[in-house]
Amino acid sequence: MAVRTNPELIDQLQQFGAKDAIKCYQCGNCSAACAHSEDPYVFPRKSMRFLQMGLEKPLRSSLDPWLCYYCGKCSEQCPRGAEPGETMMGVRRWLTSEYDFTGISRLLYRSWSSELAAVIVVALLTGAGFFGFGLFGGGGNLSVYDGPGAFLPPHAIHVFDWTMGIILASLLSINCIRMWHFTMHGEHAVPVPLSLYVSYLLLLPVHFFTQKRFRHCENKTPWTNHLILMLSYLTMLTLIMVFLKQMQAGPQVNWYAHTFGYLSAIGLVGTSIFAIRGRIKKDAAYHRHSHESDWMFLGLLLYVSVTGILQHVLHRAGFPMAANITYIVHLMGVVPMLALEVPFSKWSHLAYRPLAIYFAQLQQAAQAEGATPLGRPARPQPVAQEQGD
Amino acid sequence: MPERVNQNRESVVKNEREQIGRGSDVQAAALPRIGVFLFEGSAPSPSLDYASVAEYAAHLPDVIAVRTVAASSAITPEVLAVEIRKAKLNTIVLAADHPGFHKPAFSRALTLAGRDGSQVRLASFGERGDGASTKRAKVLITCAVQNVPVKPSPKHDVTEFNTATLVIGGGIAGIQAALEIAASNHKVYLVERTGTIGGRMAMFDKTFPTLDCAACILTPKMVAVGQNPNIELLVLSEVQEVSGSFGQFNVKVLKHATRVDSSACVACGDCARYCPVTASSEFDMGIATRKGIFIPFPQAVPNTYMIDPTYCTWVLSDGKKCGACAKKCSKGAVHLDAKDELVDLEVGNIIVATGYDTPDAHRVERYGYGTYPNVLTSLEFERLTNASGPTGGKIVMKTKKVNKKTKTEEWVFEPDGPKPKAVAIVHCVGSRDQNYNPYCSRVCCMYSLKFAHLVREKLPEAKCYEYYIDMRAFGKGYEEFHERIREEGVLLVRGRSASVAERDGQLYIHGENTLDEHLITLPVDMVLLSVGLQPSHGSAELAEKLCIPRDGDGWFRELDYNSEPNGTPREGIYVAGVCQGPKDIPDTVAQASAAAAHALRSIVSSEAGKKVAQPLTENAGSPARA
Repeated sequence: MAVRTNPELIDQLQQFGAKDAIKCYQCGNCSAACAHSEDPYVFPRKSMRFLQMGLEKPLRSSLDPWLCYYCGKCSEQCPRGAEPGETMMGVRRWLTSEYDFTGISRLLYRSWSSELAAVIVVALLTGAGFFGFGLFGGGGNLSVYDGPGAFLPPHAIHVFDWTMGIILASLLSINCIRMWHFTMHGEHAVPVPLSLYVSYLLLLPVHFFTQKRFRHCENKTPWTNHLILMLSYLTMLTLIMVFLKQMQAGPQVNWYAHTFGYLSAIGLVGTSIFAIRGRIKKDAAYHRHSHESDWMFLGLLLYVSVTGILQHVLHRAGFPMAANITYIVHLMGVVPMLALEVPFSKWSHLAYRPLAIYFAQLQQAAQAEGATPLGRPARPQPVAQEQGD
Repeated sequence: MPERVNQNRESVVKNEREQIGRGSDVQAAALPRIGVFLFEGSAPSPSLDYASVAEYAAHLPDVIAVRTVAASSAITPEVLAVEIRKAKLNTIVLAADHPGFHKPAFSRALTLAGRDGSQVRLASFGERGDGASTKRAKVLITCAVQNVPVKPSPKHDVTEFNTATLVIGGGIAGIQAALEIAASNHKVYLVERTGTIGGRMAMFDKTFPTLDCAACILTPKMVAVGQNPNIELLVLSEVQEVSGSFGQFNVKVLKHATRVDSSACVACGDCARYCPVTASSEFDMGIATRKGIFIPFPQAVPNTYMIDPTYCTWVLSDGKKCGACAKKCSKGAVHLDAKDELVDLEVGNIIVATGYDTPDAHRVERYGYGTYPNVLTSLEFERLTNASGPTGGKIVMKTKKVNKKTKTEEWVFEPDGPKPKAVAIVHCVGSRDQNYNPYCSRVCCMYSLKFAHLVREKLPEAKCYEYYIDMRAFGKGYEEFHERIREEGVLLVRGRSASVAERDGQLYIHGENTLDEHLITLPVDMVLLSVGLQPSHGSAELAEKLCIPRDGDGWFRELDYNSEPNGTPREGIYVAGVCQGPKDIPDTVAQASAAAAHALRSIVSSEAGKKVAQPLTENAGSPARA
């Protein structure tokens, strides 16, 4: 069977941050060092090979990059400085842009100026929109923050955030379907019966909420940090999407809602500062390389957290007008962050990672049941077993 | 066409001149206007005071400007040209250890500034390796400023060519070179740091790819060195200082006392039998022990015992305790109070053959060397499998034993120890790895295959796995050797193993077989780490003493990679063997013979031209041995 190669693939991946894959001499140290690498999902060497050979299609249909959590052990041990960890990160960015049907993701990842411009344009539109709405559709009085006649009333915000949530979820779902198509109908994929899809469905929420595979990495700090960030974020999202009225009401503090709010605010600020500090100091292998999109993500996250806290403080301190303005400034960060990051950039991994684990399990289960890829013989048994007798 | 090119070039030069400024305002002036550029050495020199040299140069006639340049600063012709034009200079004196290096940049700068590009004079402190001193630097700069040629070697006349040769290092390279020169009836001083010649090759059991017995090749040569009247062997000796130049080097050698008279000792071993102290044997790479008075191995040359002062009770107690060896020696050969001596040698040529060390396998933590007793380095395995090694050549695993003296448990090799059922060999440990040594050590692939053969030969029941990245079978007969080992039933895994771990007392080696993309974990009883080669310790200091450069990896740099792989930038000093770069035994021997040819060429031509072969001076060398 002829194999189609794209000799420029490795150069194209450079723009996604996979800069050193060319140095790899295929010793396999990385795959053997990795805590997640297990037959048949052996990586990162295999992905490095795909890159070097320009095997675009197998790379696109590969689940391996999503099974890597980038603890950096492979990069630390790499004898060539080929940075397998960062290469996997770069491949994940590339995969995100491949799954994205709009092409926006590719544009944002490959051009720092486009990403910056997109964020600024969306931020300005958001600011103008909410200010206009507040003046003419909402309360109309900039010095009223809460209660009846609030400048930005919670019910109106809810209409907006639920609409945005549905649009973003739809975009991401389409990308997920494309991911399913690429990976579950790829070269080595086996057909999976519907019953298996159902019986393994529980894997999705489990891995979404716990990221328990991440814990297998030798270095536990990134997992802890990531879990705190994700749980804080989910808590905050729930508060905003469901309990905004209680959150916004004042001036007294509603402790039922606010305890969660304060905890998640601490979590968000703490983890984003931790990550920014790590990336500046480059103190660990997984922090050594930073793509522009990493800085944009962390910058927006910190910006949103700090402005969110500030508008809350200003409101409780009795400066409703300042609080309202900060609220709009806050939204000018929230909307671009969610609108650009969730379907098109870094945050899409919230869906891709659990899906990849789910798909990988399905493939293995289907293979165990005897399914083989169409037109291909079954995989040979591992060498170890052949030689074991 | 060529004319047009020339025109273009002229116009380019003209344009550059215009950019930099009006050119020939000074050029017409008859008087030289000199700028002295004094380059500081990369390391501070105790004997050279740059400030006082600069001060002195500033007061020389015609010197307009003096600038001291730090070793690390960048030289940009365009910037210099502006400086030259500003100070209205027309001549440049470059004063440095090796100023020739900067000459092209300054020539270009002069041309850019509209001056005559050839007016760059050199004051070279480092030439001929005489070493830089403040006084000498001042003289050299004065000569350059006055445009007086300096006599290349002020100390010695070239007619006094010394026909003796110094060989540093007594491994196979040093032995070969010494024998070649001695065979043509010329004096050789062979200086060896350890207690015997033979070097690394003496440790080996077999050589690849012929599987010849290494000792059978080497020991006759060692004996020939010991018996050759033209070779004077200085063991336990180190080069302290080298001065002079090609044809007349003066070398100071520190000869540590063996404390045993080599002419009286018959190597009966009585002394060692009564010696109360035990130390780990350097020759056996620490897998066996020796006494405080010892002979490195039975075939050592010179074949005498020696005392290790770092362990000897008599030495450590300043002569108050022990002394058993001296009392028991029937020949009265032991002189415990013997002192180290400084020997002055005068030689015409120097051959450097200092060989290699193996990198510390502890550094690659994931293979568990030092943690798991049966993880061995390549040289340890060479000693284990060697018939003269601690187990008589039997490949066994270490067993736990209680040390009677220290009451601690330790892992030792016993001839009747358990035999390993599976042995893994890991290639490229600390080689081809930017975290350790980035270069390929060249011999490891082949010696690993040799190990696999020895394991399969001595333990036909045992499995043998090789974890390799690329199989570098580069020499004559090597590919065939590789094929042969494959056919012998050695299992080759293409992939560097990532780790060795122990579970329930069983070692496991883990790696990816990259050819079929599967991870494999194999239970093994013994792991051999094919560590690479690195310059032997003390190479940096020796390079400094000899004033010869080293390359980025620490090997001595040859004069020219292709055409002068033996020469060094300093005339009369040659390199041979692994100290110039990793190589196998045949290449080492060939290079050693070539180095000897270099030395002999100069000796023969000096004799043919002048007939002034110097008789050896009285004080040269230590008292002759039998």
